Amino acid sequence: MNSNVWILTFSDAISIATTLILATLGAILTERSGVINLGVEGIMLMGAVTAFLVGDGTGNLWLALFLSVLVGVAMATVHATLTITLRANQIVAGLALVIFGNGLSQFIGKPVEGKSRPVTIEPMNLGALSDIPVLGPILFGHDIFTYLTWAGALVCSLYLNRTRPGLVLRATGDAPATVDAQGVSVATVRFVHTILGGALMGLAGGWFMLARGTAWSQAATTNGIGWIALALVVFAAWRPLRAIAGAVLFGFTLQVPFTLQGQQINILPPEIVQMLPYVATLFVLVMLSTPRARRLLGAPKMLGQPFVRDER
Amino acid sequence: MIIGNIRIELEPRLSTPKWLYAAVPVLSLLFAFVVGGVFLALTGHSPIGTLSLLIERGYASTKGITNTLGSATPLICTGLAAAFAFRMNLFNIGEEGQMYLGMIGSAWAGIVLAGHLPGFAAVPVVLLFGALSGALWVLLPAVLRAKLGTSEIVSSLLMNYVALNLVNYFIFGSRGIFRDPSTSFPQGRLIEESARLGSFGTTRTYPTVFIAIALAIGLYWFMKRSNYGYETSVFADSPNTARYAGMSSTRLTLSVLLFSGALAGLAGSMYVVGPAGKVDPGLLQIGLGYAGIVVAALARYNFVAVILTAILFAGLREGGASLQISSNPVPISIAVVLQGSVLLFALGGEVFRRNRLRIRRVQQVSVAS
Amino acid sequence: MSDASTEAAMGSHRSGGATLFALSARQVTKRFPGVLANDRVDFDLLPGEVHTLLGENGAGKSTLASVLCGLYKPDEGAVLRNGTQVRLTSPRHGLQNGIAMVHQHFRLVDRFTVAENVVLGHRKLPFRLRVNDLEDQVAQVAERFGLPLDPRAVVGELSAGQRQRVEIVKALYHGAEILLLDEPTALLAPPEVEKLFETVRAMTQAGKSVVFVSHKLGEVVDISDRVTVMRDGRVTGSVARGQADTRKLAELMVGRDIDLSPRRSRGEAKETLLSLSNVGLTKDGVDRIAQVSFDVRAGEIVGVAGVSGNGQRELAEIVAGLIAPTSGEVSINGERVNGVGTRNVRKAGLAYVPEDRLGTGLAPSLSIVDNLVLTRDRGFLVDRKSAHVEAEAFIKQLEIKTPNALTATRKLSGGNSQKVLLAREIFAAGNNSRVLVVCSPTRGLDVGAVEAVHKLLDEARSAGKAILLISEDLDEVLTLADKILVLYRGSVVHEAVGDKVDVEAVGLAMAGLS
Repeated sequence: MNSNVWILTFSDAISIATTLILATLGAILTERSGVINLGVEGIMLMGAVTAFLVGDGTGNLWLALFLSVLVGVAMATVHATLTITLRANQIVAGLALVIFGNGLSQFIGKPVEGKSRPVTIEPMNLGALSDIPVLGPILFGHDIFTYLTWAGALVCSLYLNRTRPGLVLRATGDAPATVDAQGVSVATVRFVHTILGGALMGLAGGWFMLARGTAWSQAATTNGIGWIALALVVFAAWRPLRAIAGAVLFGFTLQVPFTLQGQQINILPPEIVQMLPYVATLFVLVMLSTPRARRLLGAPKMLGQPFVRDER
Repeated sequence: MIIGNIRIELEPRLSTPKWLYAAVPVLSLLFAFVVGGVFLALTGHSPIGTLSLLIERGYASTKGITNTLGSATPLICTGLAAAFAFRMNLFNIGEEGQMYLGMIGSAWAGIVLAGHLPGFAAVPVVLLFGALSGALWVLLPAVLRAKLGTSEIVSSLLMNYVALNLVNYFIFGSRGIFRDPSTSFPQGRLIEESARLGSFGTTRTYPTVFIAIALAIGLYWFMKRSNYGYETSVFADSPNTARYAGMSSTRLTLSVLLFSGALAGLAGSMYVVGPAGKVDPGLLQIGLGYAGIVVAALARYNFVAVILTAILFAGLREGGASLQISSNPVPISIAVVLQGSVLLFALGGEVFRRNRLRIRRVQQVSVAS
Repeated sequence: MSDASTEAAMGSHRSGGATLFALSARQVTKRFPGVLANDRVDFDLLPGEVHTLLGENGAGKSTLASVLCGLYKPDEGAVLRNGTQVRLTSPRHGLQNGIAMVHQHFRLVDRFTVAENVVLGHRKLPFRLRVNDLEDQVAQVAERFGLPLDPRAVVGELSAGQRQRVEIVKALYHGAEILLLDEPTALLAPPEVEKLFETVRAMTQAGKSVVFVSHKLGEVVDISDRVTVMRDGRVTGSVARGQADTRKLAELMVGRDIDLSPRRSRGEAKETLLSLSNVGLTKDGVDRIAQVSFDVRAGEIVGVAGVSGNGQRELAEIVAGLIAPTSGEVSINGERVNGVGTRNVRKAGLAYVPEDRLGTGLAPSLSIVDNLVLTRDRGFLVDRKSAHVEAEAFIKQLEIKTPNALTATRKLSGGNSQKVLLAREIFAAGNNSRVLVVCSPTRGLDVGAVEAVHKLLDEARSAGKAILLISEDLDEVLTLADKILVLYRGSVVHEAVGDKVDVEAVGLAMAGLS
């Protein structure tokens, strides 16, 4: 078998990891504030369809991506309002968003169903760097957004650990009562970071559509990547830099079925191979559940709990 | 929140007036229609016309209401499945996959076993196998949760995607037992006649609807009166108290999740016994599992109310489906948009049921010197 | 009601004289759903003084303190800082005015270091954090007030006394001039309390003012310059140092002459019903309980005293069958019950009243009736009818204040829910228990309820039950117990007989200094 194929697979895995990293970073920021937003999948779908429609309508790549970010912001705002201001159950609210995003993306995407990608995100031409054998295509054959995403993960990490608002964010997820006693509005911190998270999730969907999607078809777009991102957050122990490693790993499991199919390798039927990413994620989840692993992980203590100032 | 001299606050209620219980779902529905109407208008459809057509076709005509009841049958089951688990703060999101497995399991029984069974036993056995398959599919997330405390949310969810691929495999990827041998066109093989139930007349309502309704009422009564229902209510309220009273959290968690999976599996088998008669990939498009969660949430996890919300949602879907073949076709996803909106508004509306708005003037005491 | 010195203080203010109060409350009123927490309260704090707000649980003193620091907003009335009215909108606003509150339940982030906790929320914090600089700053502030702390230590690993120090340093770092300490001695052993008082004196000498919020009569008398007593949301009196008499203060707290004398067993204790022999519990390599042995006989109360966190909960759960000990034996009526589970322990004749009333002993959202059947054998269907009759009988007999038997227990006040719990564990039908394990039964209750509970326990003792009382409230143990044991780091380090107890020795034992 051609080693070139595997290099390409690796390269593709890294590329697809971009979506995962973006969505995971969004989820990390949200969850670090204590809010769990299960609506990732729905937000990504809406980001994808928005990017498609705007790209189709205007031909402008940047506008398309910008709008997918805005859509993510809008949906995250709904979630934030429901769960923070109105103290609704965070799980159910997130699910409602997924369902809503599912339906709405299908609805507004109907006119362009089956149409192929209007604008695309092309890999950068890095000249000599891309020509390095093996490492070249793997590391240097990507588009600018991929590199920006890696930088973004670094920025997130610095934000969390070395800045004042980052300190407040980390405190909010663990001990909102403490933050509140210091006079900082827990609701504001949560709101801001939920929305920031939504922006990244929307971008994840938009980028995916324009960089890796082929045609608009709701059923064939994100296909559960949003849920894998949620598992990735746990895998990354809520730390941005670790998300990169996990994303590449999962990117691999997402890419391998396509490679096998392309190479006409039929040890297993294609439908079974399609299960790989989900089974892999399940496996990882099981591994992360062992008592030893849990001690090393450290979820934000008050994740998923609405904060109500204790007035009796 | 303070504006000038007026303070506006959310204050927990001491008791909730009865009318509010009904007001929230009704108002949510209204607001959802408004949202749906907006999107309809934006895409060139008449909001009022379309929506009234949807309502008529979903509920108001004989054909409509019977279609709706037929559609509601499996939805009641997935709704019960979700309500049963969610009440205990066990978020089984895997109803979709458990339903698919129910479809597979019951079809297997219908193809392989039914021929060897006396006529009256075929349907019950097929239904049972569907329920067992559904329970099987939730076993892994359930064990992970009961023994290791892993969140069942993502794990049960991932099982959905595996199940989806499994159904695709059985119909498109293999030529095994579930495939119709008489044609090369990929479709499911019909189960034995003895295991199938005919519909009422020319409608699409099947006798299984009575089973679903009876199940809902029975569950309601059972959970209210029995020791098992008591123990689950204690556990749902305060796991520490349950432990103190000697109740096994492992046993309760496992049993609740398995039963929830079984109910979802039953939905799949009702689909097979009734309209489909075979493994049908068409089921994958409807999203009954996810809709069940919405139905349960809207019913605030009350089993009897699930019957009503399921009929409501099925009506939205049937009405929505029929709109695809009108003069100005509307994508069926409008129904999903409406469903999602109803839930979102109901969630928001909940806050007013639990709290009330207090508007007060902030008083000052002048400090005389 | 008010006496000379208070009058004089108020008078000088009224005449616009020289004395300026650092902090005052004027006619402050605060309501919560169903309860009037503060009713037209007046309060003054002089600069550099230690002023105690004394009152039983539920008197409204914590509420007043929360209003004074900006955590709550008063529905009516005003707060004055240095004579000028301030409308405090938040704790941060309070801090800007130099007012800080240290809560009973610490508001700290366990995951963070001491330095991170101290600087969290400070206005002047730069966007980019330089960890080393911050750590030095924190160390400096701590030193200045004689509160040595390691800024790099992770707060989650510190003791209660150390965490309290972090909270105080935090307040000082943020520029507090006035410190409100809410029940600061609740989690401290007597010698640690002494250390705290030293710290407080150091702070007042440096010009800070301190408000002590407490219900512990005996302690506050020494440290306070003035004591203001509250009851049922109102101020009942204010006395200055030297005029404070324990009995008078108790009277102001409760409104009547209360009998603080101890209750002891009136007869001979009979056969041994509960026996622990070399019981130990090792978890994660740490000895939570080590070599504990004692007996409890029918008709006696054995009291286990100790500061919270020294193994009380583990001990209770071992005896109640929730955890199995890793060594030793527990027997009830001669029958070995190690790790047989709660159900079997109950069958053997033991009833357990846990410390956490609503979160463990009762199911908060369930009705009184449903809670009554919690610890008994239920059939396939739950018999609520007879339980309902029983519940109504208890409500009458024990004077439980509730709309009806179907009310959710979380809607009841602390005292009333405790009565439900005790009714079930001591008296309920089908209850053949002869051994009773009771943990901190009067925590958070007002004196009236405390009296009622103590009376119930006394009666149970007279009826021949063997009672194991595990309480962090030393006064309670001293009042009720025939035999006293002190638990420190999981071992019994001191034993005494109720009538002949040396309180100072007990205090030292509680701190591990015997």
